[in-house]
Amino acid sequence: MSPHRVFPLPVWAGQDVGRSCILVSIAGKNVMLDCGMHMGYNDDRRFPDFSYITQSGRLTDFLDCVIISHFHLDHCGALPYFSEMVGYDGPIYMTHPTQAICPILLEDYRKIAVDKKGEANFFTSQMIKDCMKKVVAVHLHQTVQVDDELEIKAYYAGHVLGAAMFQIKVGSESVVYTGDYNMTPDRHLGAAWIDKCRPNLLITESTYATTIRDSKRCRERDFLKKVHETVERGGKVLIPVFALGRAQELCILLETFWERMNLKVPIYFSTGLTEKANHYYKLFITWTNQKIRKTFVQRNMFEFKHIKAFDRAFADNPGPMVVFATPGMLHAGQSLQIFRKWAGNEKNMVIMPGYCVQGTVGHKILSGQRKLEMEGRQVLEVKMQVEYMSFSAHADAKGIMQLVGQAEPESVLLVHGEAKKMEFLRQKIEQEFRVSCYMPANGETVTLPTSPSIPVGISLGLLKREMAQGLLPEAKKPRLLHGTLIMKDSSFRLVSSEQALKELGLTEHQLRFTCRVHLQDTRKEQETALRVYSHLKNTLKDHCVQHLPDGSVTVESILIQAAAHSEDPGTKVLLVSWTYQDEELGSFLTALLKNGLPQAPS
Amino acid sequence: MELAEDWLVESLRLYQDFHAFDLSGATRVLEWIDHKGVFVAGYESLKKNEILHLILPLRLSVTENQGLFPERDFRVCHGGFSDRSVFDLKHVPDTRLLVTSGFPGCYLQVWHVAEDNDVIKAVSTIAVHEKEESLWPRVAVFSSMAPAVLHGVRLSGLRTVDLESQKITYSSGVSDSEELSSLQVLDADTFAFCGTSGRLGLVDTRQKWAPMEPLSLNPGSSGVKWCAKVRDKDQGPGPCIASLGSDGQLRLLDPRNLCHPVSSAQCPVPTPSPDPELLRVTWAPGLDNCLAISGFDGTVQIYDVTSWDGKRSQVEPLFTHRGHIFLDGHEVHTAPLVTTHTWHPCKPRTLLSAASDASLHVWDWVDLQASC
Repeated sequence: MSPHRVFPLPVWAGQDVGRSCILVSIAGKNVMLDCGMHMGYNDDRRFPDFSYITQSGRLTDFLDCVIISHFHLDHCGALPYFSEMVGYDGPIYMTHPTQAICPILLEDYRKIAVDKKGEANFFTSQMIKDCMKKVVAVHLHQTVQVDDELEIKAYYAGHVLGAAMFQIKVGSESVVYTGDYNMTPDRHLGAAWIDKCRPNLLITESTYATTIRDSKRCRERDFLKKVHETVERGGKVLIPVFALGRAQELCILLETFWERMNLKVPIYFSTGLTEKANHYYKLFITWTNQKIRKTFVQRNMFEFKHIKAFDRAFADNPGPMVVFATPGMLHAGQSLQIFRKWAGNEKNMVIMPGYCVQGTVGHKILSGQRKLEMEGRQVLEVKMQVEYMSFSAHADAKGIMQLVGQAEPESVLLVHGEAKKMEFLRQKIEQEFRVSCYMPANGETVTLPTSPSIPVGISLGLLKREMAQGLLPEAKKPRLLHGTLIMKDSSFRLVSSEQALKELGLTEHQLRFTCRVHLQDTRKEQETALRVYSHLKNTLKDHCVQHLPDGSVTVESILIQAAAHSEDPGTKVLLVSWTYQDEELGSFLTALLKNGLPQAPS
Repeated sequence: MELAEDWLVESLRLYQDFHAFDLSGATRVLEWIDHKGVFVAGYESLKKNEILHLILPLRLSVTENQGLFPERDFRVCHGGFSDRSVFDLKHVPDTRLLVTSGFPGCYLQVWHVAEDNDVIKAVSTIAVHEKEESLWPRVAVFSSMAPAVLHGVRLSGLRTVDLESQKITYSSGVSDSEELSSLQVLDADTFAFCGTSGRLGLVDTRQKWAPMEPLSLNPGSSGVKWCAKVRDKDQGPGPCIASLGSDGQLRLLDPRNLCHPVSSAQCPVPTPSPDPELLRVTWAPGLDNCLAISGFDGTVQIYDVTSWDGKRSQVEPLFTHRGHIFLDGHEVHTAPLVTTHTWHPCKPRTLLSAASDASLHVWDWVDLQASC
């Protein structure tokens, strides 16, 4: 069994947004975990360097499968490039929601890159479609056989809709890859969970490993405060969202507090958002938390008391309001339209709830730009307040410790952190869980030795025979049993010798030892034999000692014969003969006889 | 959770900003370093405790454009392990060294905060002259060309040890066995002490022991324990020593007359304090005549003592931080106990507070009584 080899594919420097792409070799199988793109680059540096995988030969032949953990671009953004432009035709595994949502995000991103930034050498819409054809969707906790040796299983990861942690198993060796996960539930998703699967290795993202996260309540409070202060002074709040990101979460939050605070300020949700979101949440209702599921059964997901469907005319209404609109990076569509109308008033506020790709209006205003050039060389002056709230839920140091405690791995591997800044965490994990903890740099290979467990079946007959010999008084002491180990067809069995011989069609051979003991005795052989008999009869009270008619002495199955020495009449030679099975007794007898016989009474 | 949500709504009005964190272990220590970071340390008795150097969320150091800095999280910059409980931790200014005091064993531990990685390692110990079973030495640091550590369990055991040479450079030389409660270095040559009985003193180390002490001040009245804090020199006129008793008494004193407090008041807190070791009184570095107290329950109370004089039986806090009780919806009787608090050195109304449930809060309170 070959040891595990794990290496994160190289990322060039610049870790402000992590990017995931990890290759694992486990018991001869090769699996790629995630295929993310680096959002900070505009050239080929944004894609992983796939030449690291194999210098020659096709990726399809080398890789057994690709697994995508969730739909964020830093985990799946390079997938169409990888499968269609570099070339991979094998299976790509992901959960159902990820399969549904990935292509939407990839297409959005492609549009921005090509249409807005005029990039060449980018994947096309057709490539996204062709790539998705290779996807095999999986359910949670469903064991999926990739081939007759490799199997995978997805676990709930929280974080975003459809995010999963994956267990990859070959025989008795397994690796768990977490992707991004979250150990605290939020208003619409549950917390990550895994059983005590005890993998050889747990691979976890450690971008946030050295942080202690502000509580969810305080983040919510901050959001509420900003919205509340803006509407109190008569301003309008624009929240550009992606339909399946935080929109749901924020709506529930606002609804709860609008009720509590008895606010009358209208909250709107653009219709495109509602339909899409409704559709996906209905499809994937089992992926949301208990509370959502309960309320969904009672009413339509987006039927809130205080949140109404938006009409584009409302944007011109006077007075305060809050609007959720797509797309999330302000790069086109309704959210951009509304932004242009409201940007000039300093009473208004735009809250960006996520990372914005370079080239989008969202990215520009977050970088501090306050004069934007729009189509037709129009300049838009941005006087409205710009806020950036990070709602995304990642596991921090505490979360990582919790997950390691749940899964009970033999070793832990932290990726995407800086080794020097995580020495303390490494010590903490090693001490608390008594496991080895590795922190490879990008491009570095980590080799983990594993001790394979070899299951051996024992035949019932053999067991029964041992049991029949009675239990030892000290039941906890190990007991020695003899059998034959048969290795056939990659299975191991322990059977009795007779059965082994029968199965293998072999005849049993007897092994017999003969030893010569010289004694000084002037009498005749027969008398010597008699002396030997008397001596052994007296000494070996527990054994069966017999004197046979032909003059030989037997002790159990051991034969002793007396003969005269060929040259010296005063010496007698005792031939002691025994089978291999009686080795112990035979050696004992020989030693005993070598000590001589007691003097015969004269 | 109803209570928690109610309080959250209320908090919109009460706090400008509010962050709440869960440490892996409760701390009794909040020691500043560089205005950007704090040290915390665990005090559990039967397991390994962590000493952490935490960097404050970026938005708390930035004054402009806070909205563009979404990070609300603490960053663990350095960490180390201690086999002992840590009850006090002091950073030696201008060095990468820390000194801690705790249980078991009556000695001080010196730590080094690594430069090229994130580990805090124990490097040496400082022997304490006194051999005490159940008391631990208080610690303060003289920062100068040659930093020195002032420590003592009792007045009689007060010593200053040079950190590098480990030589004793000062000794109180008295036989008074009063237990020490607070020790505070004021400048290169003077320090202040407060005994558990409430006895206060200001000591000049260049002179033979003759601290300005009160001769009578209700010596050890019915088991009340005290702690004290001296305000920074450049903070203007008025009494600059605050002393807090486990019965909720707050006294303000002038250093020229340690016998008679300028004013005293009974604070509206549940008494007596469940653990007098946790009593804390601190002066606000950025506000005039403002101080904070904790150690009686799950709250931190802030008082404006500007026009305090004489004996006041009823005082009202300017602000009460109830976050440790209400954020997670505790019932009042299961609420944790605030273990320590400290003011932000630069932001006038920002405090950090820690409680026995391992929570750590950073809060910027709104002065509802201010005119604008």
